[in-house]
Amino acid sequence: MALREGAGGAVLTLSGALDVRSAAAARDAIVAELAQHTLTRVEVDASGIERGDASGMSILYQLAQGQLAPGLEAQLHGLRPELEKLLAAFPAPEAVKGVEVRPERRSIPVEVGGATLGLWNDAVESIRFLGALTLALASILSHPRKLRASELARVFEKSGANALLIVSLISLLTGLIIAFEAAQPLKTFGAQIFIANMIGLVMVRELGPIMTAIVFAGRSGSAFAAELGTMKVNEELAALRTMGLDPTRFLVIQRVLAGSVAMPLLTAYSMAMGILGGVIVTRMMGFPLALIWQQLAAALGAKDILFGLAKAVVFGAVVAGLGCYQGVNTRQGPSAVGDSATRAVVASILMIILIDAVFSVFAYVLGI
Amino acid sequence: MSGSDTAIVVENLSIGYGDRVVQQDLSFEVRRGEVFVILGGSGCGKSSLLKVMIGLVAPLRGRVLYDGVDLVGAEGPERLSLLRKFGVMYQSGALFGSMTLLENVRLPLDEFTRLQRAERQLVALAKLNQVGLLDAAARMPSELSGGMQKRAGIARAMALDPGILFLDEPSAGLDPITSAGLDRLIRELSESFGITLVVVTHELQSIFAIADRCLMLDARRKTMIAEGKPAELRDESPDPVVRQFFRRQAEPEKERQTG
Repeated sequence: MALREGAGGAVLTLSGALDVRSAAAARDAIVAELAQHTLTRVEVDASGIERGDASGMSILYQLAQGQLAPGLEAQLHGLRPELEKLLAAFPAPEAVKGVEVRPERRSIPVEVGGATLGLWNDAVESIRFLGALTLALASILSHPRKLRASELARVFEKSGANALLIVSLISLLTGLIIAFEAAQPLKTFGAQIFIANMIGLVMVRELGPIMTAIVFAGRSGSAFAAELGTMKVNEELAALRTMGLDPTRFLVIQRVLAGSVAMPLLTAYSMAMGILGGVIVTRMMGFPLALIWQQLAAALGAKDILFGLAKAVVFGAVVAGLGCYQGVNTRQGPSAVGDSATRAVVASILMIILIDAVFSVFAYVLGI
Repeated sequence: MSGSDTAIVVENLSIGYGDRVVQQDLSFEVRRGEVFVILGGSGCGKSSLLKVMIGLVAPLRGRVLYDGVDLVGAEGPERLSLLRKFGVMYQSGALFGSMTLLENVRLPLDEFTRLQRAERQLVALAKLNQVGLLDAAARMPSELSGGMQKRAGIARAMALDPGILFLDEPSAGLDPITSAGLDRLIRELSESFGITLVVVTHELQSIFAIADRCLMLDARRKTMIAEGKPAELRDESPDPVVRQFFRRQAEPEKERQTG
């Protein structure tokens, strides 16, 4: 690259390659060279450019548009025909300015209004979904052959049996941790044997059902949302509808039923594993098994176990229902399935806590 | 042979998955600047061959040479420099749904060049202009028709001026008018800009409209059964399967029953 000023005006001579590798350096060199002269017009001799590409031509385009030196008028000539074609593909300057217009930011009232309407629509959709679910359940009860037992068994195995390991680990460790944490304060009062009572009550009435429900939401609620969401994106749900099959009856009811059955079973198992954790710690402190069993039997009644299992049934149905609801309402777009799975888990955890609170209030009032 | 007029050399290539061989003993060359079409019936391994040629899948045996350098087994900077020699348009367009068209096309420039933002923007707009999508630069992929998405996919594949473009089923799922427009764009890219195009398709009209030469694969014999200009293969091929394909004839009744 060379710039010479003569009687006929200034001439900028470009040579060699002007491609994606050399374009940035060429631009810097041209800008530096032009800055050393006070020019209003320059002839650009491009006949020496042996090869180039669109990246290289972007430098010539900017030079010709006066964007590399303010107020400079550049006349380009001698460019090879194939590079002329590449340069001709660059849009007019006014077209460049018009692009990348992002949607305008909406005002706060419009945002709030939109969000409120969204909540209202969600509520309406939820009620519609609940209605469809009830109708599907009624249809299954009157025609049990429509249940698709093999699908129910598959879902039950995936969301129930396959969750045993993780539920075992979490419940056993929780029992151990609570027992260890309680041991020190109870020792102060010489009441360490009551660890057994505490673990029994905590695991059976609260932690067993809640922790199992949270695991169920993370493992299965999200999976239901992703599975049905993918089916919606792939138009499989639309295919079912056009065949005259109701997706709620065909896909959702099996998941809700599987959740309602698997959750109490998993919860009962979780209660047992949590208590086992507590028993291990109490045994390590030297208490005999017979005494521990006596304490557990005194603290726990059938009503406590039924109370925990009843919660588990409701948690199972709600988590599975929410997962399916988010799945069938998946929107379009690359992140839609992920969004549905996230919403399913977040809504499930929120509902688990809310339902648990309602159960606690009722239990207190009824003296359970 | 890897002279300057040869863009890609494929040598003794066998492709398959696990124990299943899909195609074997494939040897052919793609000349610089031509439109080379890989064709064959459904399930014959066209897309598998494309995946091997672009390095997505390893072959069972053989070599794929770009300017004399083998892509199979290349690693690190050598592989990166080979990947820069070609761009790929996938069957669905494979645009990133969370980005506008402009951002999609600009992405390779943002990642692999030292150009300033305004320059990267300009190059991306030039590429969109080349495929007739300048006015749609600010739109999201979900707002576009299938044909527009494929055009945008071509623009993104061309962002770094790779010299070779692979197009996987460009006409699939498109109406005849859009498909013909895409064929015209492919010819224009070849004739005006000297780009080498390797196109996988089984659309006969497209093959006759765009191909300089073509390679035909056969699922039963698991190898290439013809190579040459489409009109010559249609009229002069001694192989009945090739003539049958180019004349769009159904399989003979008795073969279908026994097969």
